Amino acid sequence: MRAQRTSRSIMAKIAATPLALAVAAGLSMTPATAQTITVWSGYPEMAPFYEHVAESMKDEYPDLEVKVEAIALREHEKRIALGLTSGSAGVTVIELSGSTASRYLENDLLPAAPENVASFVRDPANFDAFFSETASREGTVYGVPLFRGQGALFYNVDMFKAAGLTEAPKTMEEYTQYAEKLTQRDANGNPTVSGWSLRLSGGGQGIAEKFWINLFQYGGSVIEPAGDGKWRANYANEAGGKTLKQYLENVHVLKTVTPEMPADAEAFERGQTAMFIRESWVIGDIAAKAPDLNYATAPLPRGSIALPTNLYVNSTGGEDAEAAWAFALAANEPENLIWLLDNVGWLPNRAGVDYSVVTKRVPAFAAFVDYPEGYEFFTLPAIGPIEEVLTRLAGQLTNAYGNADLAKDDAAIDAFLASAAEETNNILSREGLLAE
Amino acid sequence: MLQRRLWWFAILAFLPTLAIFAWVRIYPIGETLRLSLHKWDILSKNKPFIGLDNFRELFHDRLFLDALVNTSIIAFGVLAVTIPLALVIAGLIHHRTASRFSGFYETAVFIPHVVSLVPAAMAWKWIFDAKLGPLNALLQYFGIPAQAWLFDPVLSVICIIVLCSWQALGYAVLIYLVGFKSLPVSLFEAAKLDGAGGIQRFWHVAVPLLKPITLYVSVVTLISGFNVYAQAFVLASDSQGAPGRQVRVLVLDMLENSFRNYRVGYAASEAVVLLAIVLVLTLIQFGLLREKGRK
Repeated sequence: MRAQRTSRSIMAKIAATPLALAVAAGLSMTPATAQTITVWSGYPEMAPFYEHVAESMKDEYPDLEVKVEAIALREHEKRIALGLTSGSAGVTVIELSGSTASRYLENDLLPAAPENVASFVRDPANFDAFFSETASREGTVYGVPLFRGQGALFYNVDMFKAAGLTEAPKTMEEYTQYAEKLTQRDANGNPTVSGWSLRLSGGGQGIAEKFWINLFQYGGSVIEPAGDGKWRANYANEAGGKTLKQYLENVHVLKTVTPEMPADAEAFERGQTAMFIRESWVIGDIAAKAPDLNYATAPLPRGSIALPTNLYVNSTGGEDAEAAWAFALAANEPENLIWLLDNVGWLPNRAGVDYSVVTKRVPAFAAFVDYPEGYEFFTLPAIGPIEEVLTRLAGQLTNAYGNADLAKDDAAIDAFLASAAEETNNILSREGLLAE
Repeated sequence: MLQRRLWWFAILAFLPTLAIFAWVRIYPIGETLRLSLHKWDILSKNKPFIGLDNFRELFHDRLFLDALVNTSIIAFGVLAVTIPLALVIAGLIHHRTASRFSGFYETAVFIPHVVSLVPAAMAWKWIFDAKLGPLNALLQYFGIPAQAWLFDPVLSVICIIVLCSWQALGYAVLIYLVGFKSLPVSLFEAAKLDGAGGIQRFWHVAVPLLKPITLYVSVVTLISGFNVYAQAFVLASDSQGAPGRQVRVLVLDMLENSFRNYRVGYAASEAVVLLAIVLVLTLIQFGLLREKGRK
């Protein structure tokens, strides 16, 4: 009897299972009109901005669900490489610099933008040609420009005053002189506050990018165009020698900064360094973390890097894809761009928007928007192996910065640069991009 | 007939395990070998066969050679620190088996092995910190100047050896303890009757008898030493301008080539070199210890 009841109970459960599954599936199903998109960002500080953009789209897309996934840049780049090649990313808005995107575009891993988006990007009233070109390839628009990384000097006004300095350095030679005056030391002469925080360590290509910014002030570049789409290394020369020597002199001879000292924006916000070169996002970071810091910004001696970042979408068909492209456009709405500048600090690329409501209120933006006449800009070349060139140069530079023997040996500096440049040229040659 | 059935039963019983093993172990190794012979760029559609070109390039690649040297120093350094230390600690714990604290000793030594690697490495990063770390504070207390532990090219490698040894020690001690417990007591008693002291009994009786254990522990330690990655990564990692020098190790170089430079084929050739090194070293260890064991 008990066995019969048990078997009936099992049968009933089996019969009920499909019904239960169907009900559960029905409950979890979203309405047919709902759209779901994911936003991949390589800058965690951008997450609130994308959430703000999603919020601004609620009227037009009431059922739109936006998942913002903002992680550290290097991990973000790995995620894109794996996600796009495996096709497992779903409909995703991808934030990517124009130079990095080039390799994906060369291999048809990102689709062209729909016509309405392309027209918006091509319109010179919206974007300067420099920005629309970095979002395009061979005349076809693939992305929507959003913001750029542009460098300037950040300096601690109180520390400058205490050192008797009244204005920002104007030449690279002055940078070293200022660094000496600004360095604070203990009784044994060891630096406790660095005069000039330099990027000396860490992983990834950032070390080489920072080196390039300083190199640019001396008239050099890591690679230079040589016509016909070919390139060659351009730092095993006088400019490269001066740049590397300045690093080594500050680290090993003058000891205005040492590798083990706290560095970068965090150090600046804590008063552990007097000056450093960084992008405009630091303004937003300081406002959030060190609002009482008395600081100012200044343009660099010759010019700055301008690294445009665009939004791409990995799909063009379907409602989700349409919503994703709409998201990329909504991010460029004037109200959202002003919010971006005000709350995050990255410089929007769209023209024809009045940003003065923010730039007037925050004088630190002046160095980024009111630069002197003739101020020059450079960007990373949109060629496939640019990351490999920079990452490998970064590895070499880390070793050089740690080598005190190089500091007083000009011949050794030249030999190091020649050897590193040879490696750069080998990479370009392997990819068929080296100028004869 | 019964024997044949048993034979088939054994094969069928093993088959699922063998299939899983082949899928998750043998196939990836074969695939890595295949990739190493191709210009296998993760993003490009064209992935041509290039023979041994990747290997030729490897041996002119300074960053790879740096990584190879660093990894070898770390692996042998960890081996040199872990094996003797584990043997001595296991001997001491075994000697104090009767103590009511013996369980505590075993647990205390084993805990670093089970602690999650990243938080442990973060803790060591703080210990080695040049400005705020307790290690430099201790050195300065004794009048020794503070050291840039995580940036100096030599010291940063030593830091990784210390961290890896600290983690490997617990496992090695545990295995040695099992070995100690299986040694015949009569031999120690006989040695004692012959007038051998504690240290002599340890050195002349226990150490030779523990050679198979030493072989196992040293192979495992060396292999894990060559696979070092997370320790080097965490000790140098930071969101902005790491306060540590990124010690280039083989696995890090592979990851960089795969996912920064998109050169999976080239990274696969590095993996093949690593596999060959570990295989050769393991065979040498087997040969040396078995040879000595026979003598």
